[in-house]
Amino acid sequence: MNEIKIIAGHFLKITFRSRMLVTIYAVWLLLVVFAAFTGYSTYTTQNTLRTQLQQQARQSWEANPDKHPHRMAHFGSFAFRLKHPLSMFDYGMESYTGNAVFLEAHKQNTVNFSEAGFSTGLLRFGEISLSVLVQLLLPLVLFFLGFHTVARQKENGTLKIVLSQGTGLGAVIWGNSLGLFVLSVLFLLPVAVAAFVQMMLQQQLPADGFVITRGLWLLLVCMGYLWVVSTVAICVSASSTGSRAALLKLLGIWLLMAIVLPKTLQAVGSAVYPAPGKFEFETAVEEDMLKIGDSHNPKDAHFARLKDSVLKAHHADSIQQLPFNYGGFQMREGERLSAEVYNQHLKGLYNTYTRQNAISNYAAFINPFIGVKNISMALSGTDFTAYRHFQNHAEAYRYQLAQTMNELQMEHISNTAPAKDAKPLSIGKEHWTAFPDFRYTHQSVQAITQQQLPAVAAIVIWFLFSFAFIYFTAASAKVL
Amino acid sequence: MYLLAFSNFIRSRSVLIAITLFLVTGVISLYIGSRFLQKQQAAVEAVTQLQQAQIERNVKNVPDQFGLLMYYLRFAYINKPDPLAALAIGQQDINNSIQYLTVRGLEGQRYDTGLFNPYNQLTGNLDLSFVILFLFPLLIIAFNFNVLSQEAEEGTWPLVRIQAGSAMRFIVQKLSIRLIVVLGLLLILLALAVVIVPVPLNSKLLMFSVTSVLYIVFWFAVSFLIIALRYSSAISALLLLSCWVLLCLLGPAMVNSYLTARYPVQEAYSTFLKQRDGYHTKWDADKDKTMEPFFKHYPQFSRYVWNSPKFNYMWYYAMQQAGDDEAAGDSKAMQNKLRQRQQLAEKFACWIAPMQAQLALTDIAGTGLQQQQQFLDSTAAFHESTKLHFYPRIFTDGAVSAENWAQHVPRYFKATAAMVPLFAMMPLLVFTLILGATGVVIFRRKGAAYTFQG
Amino acid sequence: MPVILEAVQLTKQYQEYTALRQLSLSIDTGEIFCLLGQNGAGKTTTINLFLGFLEASEGKALINGIEVRPNSNATRQHIAYIPEVVQLYGNLSGIENLDFFSRLAGFTYSKQELAAFLQKAGLQQEANSKRLAAYSKGMRQKVAIAIALAKNATVIFMDEPTSGLDPRATAEFTAICKELAAAGKTIFMATHDIFNAVNLGSRIGIMKQGSLVHTVHTSGISATELQQLYLETI
Repeated sequence: MNEIKIIAGHFLKITFRSRMLVTIYAVWLLLVVFAAFTGYSTYTTQNTLRTQLQQQARQSWEANPDKHPHRMAHFGSFAFRLKHPLSMFDYGMESYTGNAVFLEAHKQNTVNFSEAGFSTGLLRFGEISLSVLVQLLLPLVLFFLGFHTVARQKENGTLKIVLSQGTGLGAVIWGNSLGLFVLSVLFLLPVAVAAFVQMMLQQQLPADGFVITRGLWLLLVCMGYLWVVSTVAICVSASSTGSRAALLKLLGIWLLMAIVLPKTLQAVGSAVYPAPGKFEFETAVEEDMLKIGDSHNPKDAHFARLKDSVLKAHHADSIQQLPFNYGGFQMREGERLSAEVYNQHLKGLYNTYTRQNAISNYAAFINPFIGVKNISMALSGTDFTAYRHFQNHAEAYRYQLAQTMNELQMEHISNTAPAKDAKPLSIGKEHWTAFPDFRYTHQSVQAITQQQLPAVAAIVIWFLFSFAFIYFTAASAKVL
Repeated sequence: MYLLAFSNFIRSRSVLIAITLFLVTGVISLYIGSRFLQKQQAAVEAVTQLQQAQIERNVKNVPDQFGLLMYYLRFAYINKPDPLAALAIGQQDINNSIQYLTVRGLEGQRYDTGLFNPYNQLTGNLDLSFVILFLFPLLIIAFNFNVLSQEAEEGTWPLVRIQAGSAMRFIVQKLSIRLIVVLGLLLILLALAVVIVPVPLNSKLLMFSVTSVLYIVFWFAVSFLIIALRYSSAISALLLLSCWVLLCLLGPAMVNSYLTARYPVQEAYSTFLKQRDGYHTKWDADKDKTMEPFFKHYPQFSRYVWNSPKFNYMWYYAMQQAGDDEAAGDSKAMQNKLRQRQQLAEKFACWIAPMQAQLALTDIAGTGLQQQQQFLDSTAAFHESTKLHFYPRIFTDGAVSAENWAQHVPRYFKATAAMVPLFAMMPLLVFTLILGATGVVIFRRKGAAYTFQG
Repeated sequence: MPVILEAVQLTKQYQEYTALRQLSLSIDTGEIFCLLGQNGAGKTTTINLFLGFLEASEGKALINGIEVRPNSNATRQHIAYIPEVVQLYGNLSGIENLDFFSRLAGFTYSKQELAAFLQKAGLQQEANSKRLAAYSKGMRQKVAIAIALAKNATVIFMDEPTSGLDPRATAEFTAICKELAAAGKTIFMATHDIFNAVNLGSRIGIMKQGSLVHTVHTSGISATELQQLYLETI
């Protein structure tokens, strides 16, 4: 134990003396400041803008005069997706997912205006967020700082002197891993501080965001990940014949894990579980919609049957005798059926996406980078499930809006058309303000943990595996 | 002697492994590309069928009201990808390449996105352009970083110096062997693209190839400069890799962040809101207030009667038009911002080779923002002409059966000619020459003696 | 004098090549044993086996009666090793290097004590705080000797310690070795330097193709005679 401490301290002493570290750390700090600033300004600008637009949309909703509720169902509303505060740390998929959706009766619109749609194509090179720095770039830095540790001592024979002092190879690997890990924590420190400052600068954090809980989990996961990276660097260094071989091996590992595998796995995912394109999807939805009939079409057979049965149930001969507005009733029924069909299709589509992504999720067992990335995106509220959560929310709100308007119509609108030149059928505008505005909530930490169970398990296994890796490397690595 | 050196290089196990890995990755990228094309083709077929079926059904369902019928009918406008798009998918998996529009307000529908798995978009496509832009430099670095330092570290340098007369010629020879191997790899992959995708042998493919070759030569120039500095293998590798991280990851990402911050497109959202309010508030306004601006916009329709006792669709479409007209300012501002982003990106690209190559490759393949902008502009023109075709029929409530519905098949967008790539690649060429020349100067100044640094 | 190093039929076999064949040898405390032989004769292999860096194919190596494998860590308590090229940490000073290696062996010394070891090993005091990168080969060797002293090693293995040293450094080195032996240390040295071996060693072994062919006491042999024997052997 003592030896490990001495070697770790020695590694740090040597590394701190090298001019290279000063340069790398300076560049690192610049990058951290850049990423933190960009993340902060994107979050602040976008959330302010979106909150403002949400209010603006609400104002014009409330500004509507007395009118027929069905007009209001078509006037509709907007849902703007608010970012989670931790999205300042990890942008995740936010640049690719839409941010605003128009909500109206009868129609499920797409969530539009993703940042990627406005991008010049540069987005394809990736983004610099604090999380990218920690998860993608820092491993590369650690590989640089760690590749020569044991390998070079092996090359020039220092290792033999070290071992002849009575130290085991295991202690050498442990010590250097620990030293490199401490170094990685020194690199993590400004990131954590930057993220903390980002949060503190916000006037208020959403209460359901659980920023502190999520943030602490993130920190823990990142530290576990950096430990794994550190041990990999040292074990590869110890098992290589020379520092050049160690460097090439580590670079190969980095390239494979961080760049090539994530892309390839998603390609595999979408090849194994092909998802329909927009028009295939629309065609399928329309086919099923046609089966249930068109609530706007008075000649529609399904709705003609419905009318007969309703009249019968109320012992009425015509819709004028019904105690409620029949048009509203029919549209409520239509909305219910069409929403059911659409949501079923959408659920199918999203389940396909989830299956595609599951390949990446399980790949965390062979690639800790993917695991930490998934957990980090989930905790930052920037992954696919967070997006799906928003879309479900927006759809639920849309449905509620359409059905509330239909019910208002049933309740307050006469079945008899007004005389020509008379005031058109309408209800008071107080009903508009009575209908609540769209409010977005974030997922609970528990839900996220459940979704990310495979990735969490993978990281835990990687963490445990790192000890086995040290043990086996120490047992099998050749000193000479 | 050259041949001997060549086989010495190519026979090394690690080189063979690297080449095999790149061939496999390259072939995977080609399959990914051709799958992309197939998906696009499937989408084109799906929308063609959908349009035909919807026209048929709605014409049958609504045979008597042209205005109501046109509420439902949608018309496809397609940006069909060039086969070359399989090699450089660019933004094409994000952008909508098919617009399926009604003659109602354009702004409310032109930004509708397709259905995508955002995780796929986040990881991006492993297409050939990615292999060339991202991975080839790493291969070049791995081949070159110790070309000189290895000789010194293994002690062969003094011997080589005595035997080989000119040190410069020796190094150039070693580098040229590696260049031939990398270019050979590129050539094989392009040839495979012609077979697998298949990409037609045309001038676009030639432009694509020339750009790729230039880009590869650029990285050789970078390697040469670093080699000329004569650091140890480890430090050379570190420097080259830092170049790669800077040029391929950090540089473009920082430029992108800057562009996003410099030109935020809030107008996108306000267009969205204005379009809705512009249209919907007209229901409660005096009808004259809607019709006046409409006739101002389209004086040719002022002779039509709109205030007949029956519900008139002219007023309805005029309200739709009002939505577009009121959002027009923001819509234009937004497009201007996107154009500014594109222009500034091009300026930055002159300094960052991978960015420049990326923009060039996607422009050649027609998958960049430039062509997307053209497509969006052209979509507006398509929407306008469809509208103008149907407006008189709606306003006169013409007979639905009198229209030749068979002619309303999807229309295809034709891009105007791409830029002159050789001119656009000038900065890359200039950089390559400057780096190479600097390398030569440094190499000469350092003399033939190998001094170990770092 | 008690036996400190012992090799019993020690053999190191690589697939088709025998690096060391049936070496049996015992060395007493306080001896300076010099191993002569051409490159590839098995000298370094013998040292590596005693150090526990290699596993013997047959036979065993014992230090102070304890078998080296599988007790390398225990046997390493008593030994020190000075390789042909002493590569220590270039960015640390001599005193810092000594401190690090002593701590590894479980000894914590004050600065004065460390300086005393360096002085005892023959290093000029003003060199203590200079970075090791600026040291000559002889100076680095002295740091390695100081490491051995600080560890209080009973056996010091040296691999061609005098190769590449200038005559003065060689003379200094020889003097220090004699002092060490006088203080009861055992030195086991592989060398090419016949004259130095005769001058310094108490016993000399001559190896050829993995076998120990001769063992002679230096008391009864002159340098010229030894050279004669060496050349005949190989």
